[in-house]
Amino acid sequence: MNIDSVRVSFGKDLTSCTTVKLLEELEIQYLGRNGKINDLLQQIKTVSADKKKQFGMDVNKLKNEIVVALQEKRQQLFAKDDELVSIDVTIPGDKYPKGSLHTTTYAIEEISKIFEKIGFIRVSYPEVDWEYFAFEALNMPAGHPARDDFETFFIDVPPHPKYGRMLLTPHATNAQNREMKRLKSTPPIRMINIGKTYRPNWDVTHTPMFHQFDGVCIDKNMNITQLKGTLDYFVKTFFGPKRSARIRPYDFRFTEPSFEVDVSCGVCLGKGCKYCKAGWLELGGAGMIHPNVLKAGGIDPTIYSGFAWGWGVERVFSMKEGLKVDDLRIVYGGDIRFLEQF
Amino acid sequence: MNIKITYNWLLEYLDTDADPYEIQKYLSLCGPGVERIEKVSTKGGLTDYVFDIEITSNRVDMASVFGIAQEAQAILPQFGKKAKLRQNPLTELRFKWMEKFSGEALPLILKVEDKKFAERLIVVALSNVTIQPSDKLIKERLEMCDERSLNNVVDISNYMRIAIGQPCHIFDYDEVKKHTMIVRESTKGEKIMTLDKETVTLPGKDIVIADGEGNLIDQPGIMGGFNSSIQKKTKNIILLIPVFNGAMVRRTAMLTGKRSNAVAYFEKNIDDDRAESATVYCLNLLKQYAGAKQASPIEDYHPTPSKKKTIEVNHQFIESRIGIKIKPAECKRILENLGFHTRYDIRNTKYVITVPTPRLRDIDIPEDIVEEVARIYGYHNLPNSLPPMVNVDPQEGVEQMYEIQRKIKYFLKHIGLHESMNYSMISKELIENMNLDVKHHLKISNTISEELQYMRTSLLPSLVQNIRENQGKKDILRFFEIAKVYYPQDKDLPKEIYKVAIATNTSFADLKGIVEGLLSELHITDYELQNAKIHIFSKNEVVDFAINDSVFGSVGKLSTQLQHKNNLKSSCYLASFDLISLIQNAKTISQYQPINPYATIKLDLNIRADAVTFQKLSQMAKKTSKLLTHIKLIDTFKQTHNVRFYFSSTEKNLTEKEALAELQKIKEVLGSELE
Repeated sequence: MNIDSVRVSFGKDLTSCTTVKLLEELEIQYLGRNGKINDLLQQIKTVSADKKKQFGMDVNKLKNEIVVALQEKRQQLFAKDDELVSIDVTIPGDKYPKGSLHTTTYAIEEISKIFEKIGFIRVSYPEVDWEYFAFEALNMPAGHPARDDFETFFIDVPPHPKYGRMLLTPHATNAQNREMKRLKSTPPIRMINIGKTYRPNWDVTHTPMFHQFDGVCIDKNMNITQLKGTLDYFVKTFFGPKRSARIRPYDFRFTEPSFEVDVSCGVCLGKGCKYCKAGWLELGGAGMIHPNVLKAGGIDPTIYSGFAWGWGVERVFSMKEGLKVDDLRIVYGGDIRFLEQF
Repeated sequence: MNIKITYNWLLEYLDTDADPYEIQKYLSLCGPGVERIEKVSTKGGLTDYVFDIEITSNRVDMASVFGIAQEAQAILPQFGKKAKLRQNPLTELRFKWMEKFSGEALPLILKVEDKKFAERLIVVALSNVTIQPSDKLIKERLEMCDERSLNNVVDISNYMRIAIGQPCHIFDYDEVKKHTMIVRESTKGEKIMTLDKETVTLPGKDIVIADGEGNLIDQPGIMGGFNSSIQKKTKNIILLIPVFNGAMVRRTAMLTGKRSNAVAYFEKNIDDDRAESATVYCLNLLKQYAGAKQASPIEDYHPTPSKKKTIEVNHQFIESRIGIKIKPAECKRILENLGFHTRYDIRNTKYVITVPTPRLRDIDIPEDIVEEVARIYGYHNLPNSLPPMVNVDPQEGVEQMYEIQRKIKYFLKHIGLHESMNYSMISKELIENMNLDVKHHLKISNTISEELQYMRTSLLPSLVQNIRENQGKKDILRFFEIAKVYYPQDKDLPKEIYKVAIATNTSFADLKGIVEGLLSELHITDYELQNAKIHIFSKNEVVDFAINDSVFGSVGKLSTQLQHKNNLKSSCYLASFDLISLIQNAKTISQYQPINPYATIKLDLNIRADAVTFQKLSQMAKKTSKLLTHIKLIDTFKQTHNVRFYFSSTEKNLTEKEALAELQKIKEVLGSELE
């Protein structure tokens, strides 16, 4: 074996090498500890003294040639490897399960987060309640026509001697009196009650169960600008910075003054179009809490004032997302083909 | 309530340069909401704009052309528009300016049996009327405002109501027997034939008007009687301008289902003052358009006229509630334009405000004055601010409850379940289909559907319904719901308890895996599986989950019997858990275990599947060998479990020999249960 025969055999071997794995074997075969290059170097002992230097240089030269050739070949083979594989990248990947949450869950989550940021705590109060908390404590005495606006399901049990009939709360405002009493009639109060509410209407635009969020803020020196600011903050956060809120005079028993709150239309941004009333959409009611409501909660209306609002969760959510549901009943109809979309 | 008035009619009372659309925009921001505006051209060649206006129930005083004019006078100048009342019928049309009746009177007797029926009743007889079609302007205006034109006399009663906001009724004098009107309470079952020729049976305790022979001639506030109605032949009439007891009228309207325009006014308690102006206006119109002559003195039954009311309000109070600085002169101007006589006491910075008669029912407290000033000043002119941040003690556990609910919902969604939200009320059928008893459920007394009859005490009936109604729509169904159930309590509100429930049509192992995954997500590890006897489930495919022997949920296969009762085509698997128990046992972060650097040795063993439960096997093995970390079921074949045992030490690398010795100990304990 001499330098030239090793060079020639390497040349052959390299040409016939077709995979990276074979190339690695080839590398060991020539450059490994027991490889051919080391074998050649062993022969230096047999070379005459005057040729030792030249021999060493020649072997090293060959070694370098082999290193470079292997490196080049490796790059070629890598490139070839990548070219070998060809797949249809448009075929769908492996499937992972995709579940869904109810639209109302998303809405409630978003609404409570928005109010949490400005210090309103979320509370939980009964859905099945006494007439007193739904009406009397909210300045709506028995027989008052304002009660007509809150058609109510009643429970078939004897009335409570003090609190009247048992009912399914027709609004989430029943929490107000309870929250005032929980805090021992001592403001500040910052509450957001989001819960199920019930009214006996079942048609394309009504479901007998729906959700409301009722907000209450009671403190010293609360005024209309803070009510406006709070609701405008909500509208801008929930609907986007281009939208704004306005309040108009209205009449509710539990607030004085009372307002109807509108949001500017998301389609025309307030100019007026077929989706809105002259640029605005009705969001719901609000107002400065009536002194009788504060008194019913044991709070002195000459020291404290406050504001409150009570809006429909489904309503504000559908106004935001353009969730064009033709028939509201589908939201609570349990059809998988509706549910799985969210 | 909504009213319709026209632009030109409004201009009779209001001098303004605002066009109809400006009026719509500005009034809606500061006062009555003008919901729609319609340009109308009549056959007779009139062009006008019809406003459809929402009147809130506290402001029945402005439910008229004049009422809107009064509002406009206050609102439009805030927008730089001219607005001045041309006339004020409430102050100008008064009895004191009328000629005293003289001459021979037609006899007319009014008897009121109880003061509670009406605050005021004004009656007057007129003779010499000619019944004919109305004047063109009256006829077309009424029609634009959705009021059918009948004849000049009846039309005048409606025209006056729209103009001034006071309902009235006109009778044929000669059909009121013995020219006597007796206002009394009805007895149950009394019948009256109303103007629309319908016979109404009265519920009893209604206000009625009978004539001198006992015939009912009016169901006050709701509809007049047919027998005394205005006909072509009518010559003499009685004009009645009433202010009836709103609550009584409202009750009759609700019980009989009859509702006229007048009910909407009376039930909102119109004031008792405008009846006088309304009478004068009606008399003028009847004279002008029906040739009528007053034929009796005006009888005014008005036992207790409303008293004048003044309210004192501090300027600082107004500013603190609105949240801005405002000049006293501006407050005064706003109030005066709304008809409030206002005196400002500079030294005490206090207003002394006389409430105008139309507003006596609506304005009571200083907050009412705040509203008047603020709305006319313009809510849109107020800045926005936020209340200061404060710390409020939260309700115990509530925030955590919502947070864990959220975690559970997202976990179940991400492993492929669908959240369902069902009604809290369910049908008798749904309850009985799950072998539950309606007696243990709260019942709704005035429901609108059999499907909404009882408050559910379990989420499972609704979820089984979800599975049934979605059969065939998807092969695999996995639903969950988190909601309250309602357990009745004696003489108290029900206990409202949150449940987490799951329903699938897959398999026991699938559902149990979901539940175990959920428990693991919540870092609940120290639970035990217990034998369960729950009658709705298949006897051998049900298990309870318990911590310290307290069961907090179950998983099972719906029994074949109930599967068929519920019309389910395939098996149904159900789980139900107490949310509160899950929350109590959940941990935000699981217990940290130091990473063991030493090797684990795995050894397999075959065990007879019927000999011992997997849970028992695991417990026995762990008790026997301290070096056993856990066991795992590899597979089951021909009633034999292939179980893998994992041994390791925290002190050193175990040798296989040591591990085998441990396995031997376990084998000895298991004894005969080995394969």
